[in-house]
Amino acid sequence: MAIYSLRPDMRGGLFTLDWTPTLKHYRTILEGEGYLPLLGTSVRVAFVVAALSTLLAYPVAYFLVFRAGKRAPLFLTLLIIPFWTSYLLRIIAWRIILRTTGLYALNSKVLLLDSFGAGEPLAIGLYRVTVIITLTYVWIPFVALPIYAGLQRIDRSLLEAAAILGSPPWRSFVRVTMPLSLPGVIAGFLMVFIPTVGEYVTPVLVGGSRSSLIGNIIQTFFGSGINWPLGSAMALIMLLGVLALTALVARLVDLRRFLE
Amino acid sequence: MPKIRRSSLWLTLTSALAIGLLVACAQPTAEPAAPVEPAGPAEAAPTAEPVQPAEPAEPSTLTVLEWAYYEVPEMWVEFGQEHPEVEVVFNFGASDADIFAKTLAGSGEDILHFYTPYLQFYVDEGLIQPIDTSKMENWDKVPAGFADSCTVDGVVYCVPWDWGFTSILYRTDMIPEGIDSWNALFDEKYAGHVSMWDDGPVGAVPIASVVRGYDPSNLTPDQLEEIKQMWIAQRDVNTFYWVDEPTLEEGFKSGEVWLAYAWNGAYYRLLAEGLPVEYAEPVEGRESWIGQYSISSGTENYDLALAFLDGKLGEQTATRLLVDYAYGHVVPDYYSVVEDANLIKALSLDDPTILNRTNFTVAISRDEHDIYSQMWAEVKAAP
Repeated sequence: MAIYSLRPDMRGGLFTLDWTPTLKHYRTILEGEGYLPLLGTSVRVAFVVAALSTLLAYPVAYFLVFRAGKRAPLFLTLLIIPFWTSYLLRIIAWRIILRTTGLYALNSKVLLLDSFGAGEPLAIGLYRVTVIITLTYVWIPFVALPIYAGLQRIDRSLLEAAAILGSPPWRSFVRVTMPLSLPGVIAGFLMVFIPTVGEYVTPVLVGGSRSSLIGNIIQTFFGSGINWPLGSAMALIMLLGVLALTALVARLVDLRRFLE
Repeated sequence: MPKIRRSSLWLTLTSALAIGLLVACAQPTAEPAAPVEPAGPAEAAPTAEPVQPAEPAEPSTLTVLEWAYYEVPEMWVEFGQEHPEVEVVFNFGASDADIFAKTLAGSGEDILHFYTPYLQFYVDEGLIQPIDTSKMENWDKVPAGFADSCTVDGVVYCVPWDWGFTSILYRTDMIPEGIDSWNALFDEKYAGHVSMWDDGPVGAVPIASVVRGYDPSNLTPDQLEEIKQMWIAQRDVNTFYWVDEPTLEEGFKSGEVWLAYAWNGAYYRLLAEGLPVEYAEPVEGRESWIGQYSISSGTENYDLALAFLDGKLGEQTATRLLVDYAYGHVVPDYYSVVEDANLIKALSLDDPTILNRTNFTVAISRDEHDIYSQMWAEVKAAP
């Protein structure tokens, strides 16, 4: 991909070596009005999705480990069951639920979303929200599993010790459970954040004209644009950006542990 | 403790199952029409008889890089009848860009099927060779306009076959006043109910050009910048860009989409389902597209490929294309077979002057294609 991004264009076949390397595609991206801001937007969307799905998955995992008891395997199976359906099918289901008509009209009554106007089109800008909702739904089980594993590793005797020493349950959670489950939380967060930055199917299916992410632009260049070098340059910039952010997060987490 | 162990095992199993399923299911593709396995009639033909050792020639094979649904034997009736010994193997492309990229990569089929304006790209890259029309029985039936679409510098490089219109499809119950201009795609009156095809070079640029009255084959940088700004602003009107016709048709049926850039196949299907739709005749003229077949420059089956293309111009194949798929065939002599009123309407077969009022896709260079694609990406990326 790095080598391909230096090709001036695609003339002469896909695998020809008869070309002079150029950095013009990087220049196009850096000088383009929208590309880098869109990368920033994609990172922000991925961050929100990862944070939301982690927040929502944590209680699920907590319930499975500490409250579900004998029925934990059953609930775990229920959590996994959506995976038996195609990823695309689940997104298309959300398309029906969230888009302007059809079930949306019904849902707007049920969910008291009448402020959007039942049966009326969503404001185009709101379609980014539909993308975030759909992606969060898709990722929750993914995040729940590493958190579940993390919580399960916690030695219950530590919680007992905290209780014996007079710690109320909320304090045990904040001082014992939460810090010990942090590696699972971070793993789950990154598992969502990294692939979501490059996501392109969900914006196409549930999003609107204003909800493209950087993945959609890369896909345009590899698809109808027939400009793989420019697409490669863009993908490489995205890859480096995500790597840098991930390294930063890893660093910050270590720092926090060190302080503790 | 055994409980914990059991649930750990359960976790491991379910996680593995989930990951396995995910890998299997999550191969995201926005493209429609999953390619099916090659299904030529030769597969169904009885081949159980053992071949005699003395038999001189084995049945030959012809390969076609095709769009899904055109592989069925009804789409090449004459060739199937005349060459039952030939096994026709179909490989599939999901879009023109995909077919071009596969050919560039050397996928090596004998015959390629692409649409205007891609012909020039294949000629420039030397991927196809001239068509010897003197060896084709049916070539003379092709009207000059369609034949010209296959001619580059006086040389015929392809055989035109299917064609159709591009115009604005709209719901008459939502827009009783009707649509008479391409400008409706940009009209704020329809905000949230417009859908544009997700394509820059073949879709967005020609449409904005005719709306502004610019020559789409000769745009200045200023004009292109203006076109870009038009489409950036259009995003507030456009509900979604469609990439495949089923999504667009679903939008029409649900009532989300009231008007859209559409091909006449969608019009015919929605009309047949009883939806109140109409296909506009914009004052700027309808756009149109032509499907073309070429013979690849590396083929070793030139004569056989030529016979295949000649058969494509035969009456039985043309009839099936018209009646089964509701697309136009380039030979007008066959239109009299169409009796379905909706189909006659969808193809405007009852209007002999319609083609005079139609804009055929203008040829563009690779450089222009790159610039227009980049413009379209900038439209989608704009804040």
